[in-house]
Amino acid sequence: MKRALTLGALALAFFASQPAAQAAQGWGLPEEEEVRFDATVVDVLCELTSDCPDNCGNGTRQLGLLDGEGVLHFVHKNFTPFTGASWELQDFCGKMVTADGLFTTNKGYRIFVLQFVREGADGKWQRANRFTGQWAEKNGVAADSKEAKQWFRNDPEVQRLIDEDGVFGLGADADKAYFEANQ
Amino acid sequence: MRQVTRLLAAGLLLAGLSVPAAAATPERVQVTGEVIDTWCYITDIMFGEGSTHHQCALWCAVGGIPVGVLGDDGEVYMVLKVGDDTTNVANPAILEIQTHRVSVDGDLYERDGIKYLLIDQVVNDEGIVNVNHDDFGIQPFGE
Repeated sequence: MKRALTLGALALAFFASQPAAQAAQGWGLPEEEEVRFDATVVDVLCELTSDCPDNCGNGTRQLGLLDGEGVLHFVHKNFTPFTGASWELQDFCGKMVTADGLFTTNKGYRIFVLQFVREGADGKWQRANRFTGQWAEKNGVAADSKEAKQWFRNDPEVQRLIDEDGVFGLGADADKAYFEANQ
Repeated sequence: MRQVTRLLAAGLLLAGLSVPAAAATPERVQVTGEVIDTWCYITDIMFGEGSTHHQCALWCAVGGIPVGVLGDDGEVYMVLKVGDDTTNVANPAILEIQTHRVSVDGDLYERDGIKYLLIDQVVNDEGIVNVNHDDFGIQPFGE
């Protein structure tokens, strides 16, 4: 079971590193649908409550895609490992885009993975993997560096939290006991 | 109140200003459950609950994936606010309670099959009680 799950995660990391092609690429997710649709980029909290900061919060808000039938699609994921999609959609706040990616439905929830996006019907396609470059710039490393590709192991905030509470969140003693038992 | 809101929205539209299409009335709720990374939990790409998944949940939260509360009722509540802070991408307050079992008071909005929770207050924080890493190791890479 553990091996299968790890292989699944590695497969996702592999797919996320493949060359760009402006068509949705299957990841083998539950009830997966490869889709392309037009929608307006919205700040989800704004859409629900009318609490609407300028420019969709400049990257601080979860963004959604409001389609032509008024359905709000919650965007969960982009094209890089362990990252969401707000930074990918931020530049399109309030604009009509064509979104290309995957819907997955499981446990009663249907969520969206953004893989490619373009403004309007004839804009230039962008691959939804800009997080890594932005993280690299913020942290003073090259976008193609090992540190950036493994951003999740090198992020200062993640490292601070792990240093404080350990990988299990239970403190250093729990980490020590686990690693000693599983050497 | 709802009629007043509609009239106000209609007035703003007539004035050429944009407003969200469907601002709704929330339900006041208290939810008890585990703070989770919603992507790994919903998709089942790995085991996404408890101490075994804590590190990955931190990665995903810092990376901007939506954080939620997996309620004791089995429902996933997507967190869009904590206290007065309406940041919901890598919210520092959420990072501090990732994987914890909490009880929260807040407003619940439901839209197109998703439950969105605006937390006013964390009324109880039990810390991490779902201790399962001896069964599942460290998700997803084992280190």
